[in-house]
Amino acid sequence: MSNISTENSLQKFEKGTSLTRDAIARLFKNKMAMAGLFVLLFMVAISLFTPWIAPYSYEEQNLDLGASAPSAAHWLGTDTLGRDQLTRIMYGSRISLMVGFIATAVALTIGVLWGAIAGYLGGRVDAVMMRIVDALYALPFTIFIILLTVIFGSSMLLLFLAIGAVEWLTMARIVRGQVISIKRQEFVEAAVSMGLSPWRIISRHLIPNVLGPVIVYTTLTIPSVILLESFLSFLGLGIQPPASSWGSLISGGVETMEEYPWLLIFPGLVLTVTLFSLNFLGDGLRDALDPRASKD
Amino acid sequence: MLRFTFFRLLQAIPVLFLVATVTFFMIHAAPGGPFDAERAVPPEVLKHLNQRYHLDDPLWKQYFDYMGNLLQGDFGPSFKYPTHTVNDLIAAGFPATIELSFYAILFALLVGLPAGIIAALKRNTLQDYLPMSAAMIGICMPTFVLGPILLLIFGIWLGWLPVAGWGQIAGDKILPSITLGSVYAAYIARISRGGMLEVLSQDYIRTAKAKGLHATRIIFVHALRGGITPVVSFLGPAIAGLLAGSFVVESIFQIPGLGRFYVMAAFNRDYTMILGLTIFFAFLIVLFNLLADILLVWLNPRVRQNLAGGR
Repeated sequence: MSNISTENSLQKFEKGTSLTRDAIARLFKNKMAMAGLFVLLFMVAISLFTPWIAPYSYEEQNLDLGASAPSAAHWLGTDTLGRDQLTRIMYGSRISLMVGFIATAVALTIGVLWGAIAGYLGGRVDAVMMRIVDALYALPFTIFIILLTVIFGSSMLLLFLAIGAVEWLTMARIVRGQVISIKRQEFVEAAVSMGLSPWRIISRHLIPNVLGPVIVYTTLTIPSVILLESFLSFLGLGIQPPASSWGSLISGGVETMEEYPWLLIFPGLVLTVTLFSLNFLGDGLRDALDPRASKD
Repeated sequence: MLRFTFFRLLQAIPVLFLVATVTFFMIHAAPGGPFDAERAVPPEVLKHLNQRYHLDDPLWKQYFDYMGNLLQGDFGPSFKYPTHTVNDLIAAGFPATIELSFYAILFALLVGLPAGIIAALKRNTLQDYLPMSAAMIGICMPTFVLGPILLLIFGIWLGWLPVAGWGQIAGDKILPSITLGSVYAAYIARISRGGMLEVLSQDYIRTAKAKGLHATRIIFVHALRGGITPVVSFLGPAIAGLLAGSFVVESIFQIPGLGRFYVMAAFNRDYTMILGLTIFFAFLIVLFNLLADILLVWLNPRVRQNLAGGR
């Protein structure tokens, strides 16, 4: 990433292509990553349009039917209250994906700013800021989130903040490392000599140039956030009924898996496939944006 | 080496102190008292309870009392089980948790290391792709999906292994250990593959080959030591993940361990229990990180220089 600008202009001159376009071309060639992207877009589209395309309503119960195996009327079967499982998984994906994206955005904001400021200012500020990150790394964070949910109750807002507050640490480290490696380059010196404020240099000159690793790591943070939320919901400490996420659906499925295994298998499958796609997309993006960091 | 250990120990103390302090005040900031039950407690009883647990003391006094007791290894009484202290419950749950974690890591190393090393040696062949695809599945499938599915297949459908318990029926430790360990097996396979690939391209390996050494000797004597260093540095942080995973695994397989106690305490709002266990978990994590760091320096003296020279 170090000489993005020079490489960029050279390539434009010679081949009429840009680094970004190169990266996109490489990404398009990566079949696993593209499959991941399509699955993900499909999931997002489904969850966006759920209220209009869900085959049944969310609360609709059919106690006479009870738990029924997958059939033509209910593709993924029904739960013990006769609620359509496909509908419930669709609504669940709204919550799981929303937590995934919002909490990642929180982590992204804190992590990028923290890392960029520490890396750019250097010296004592950097030392103090990174020691804080080190100290936080040593804390048992899953435990800390459970603690937060116990004390303040498990509201959605708290979940966003708590998960975001945990996941920014690695981002801060990555951004700091990148900023340190580019801050001695001429374009930064030029910006300094023009008398720009440190804030403007960080936001306009440094952060845009470390976007590659940030995008990659963001893609890899989303699955870990979704996983964390599902983990909490599985333990009954996350999303509270009547709302449900994939984690709480799986938790419900475990209770009755002996009699009705489909209530466990389908939500588990959807969650696993989503995590799978995000990881493949993240790996593909890493290979595309940073050709030197090869798969091994 | 000793100096390094000493300084790392010094670093650990403020972290533990911080965890204890923050947790203590968070717990005390929580709305509602510890005795807010569904059935209202008579005021006299409440007063008596508050007196007995020193809850009518000023907060700073409670804090110093608690920290003082903590230094002597006393985590105080449990609010929900008045006949037990938090120490009793930790003593009751700790053996199962540590045994489970040990077996899980053992499983992860026994499966992950050979898979990663073979994949690196047979790069870009089926022996590379198969274990690496399996590792990807292992990483993406959450413990709380894998556990119930293994339970369903091997415990219920095939009936090969017991479905719950710990140390009561022969073989009841197998499924929980595999469930908890499989994610780490997957990570270790990937990390050791990467580490081995990097080492195998080094000059000293080429020299060893040029000397005409046997391939087995090169791999086990020359390459392995450097190749598994990343695995060792992964093990420290993995402990934190293991503890979190044990929450799920202990709940699924009904194992009477610390993780299950913690989740139960969280449901019951047993504040002293949560406080004590949080500090205890922090202590474990810091301890294992320290051990991993020391092991790392022992394996690779160059790391020591990096540590001494700042980052």
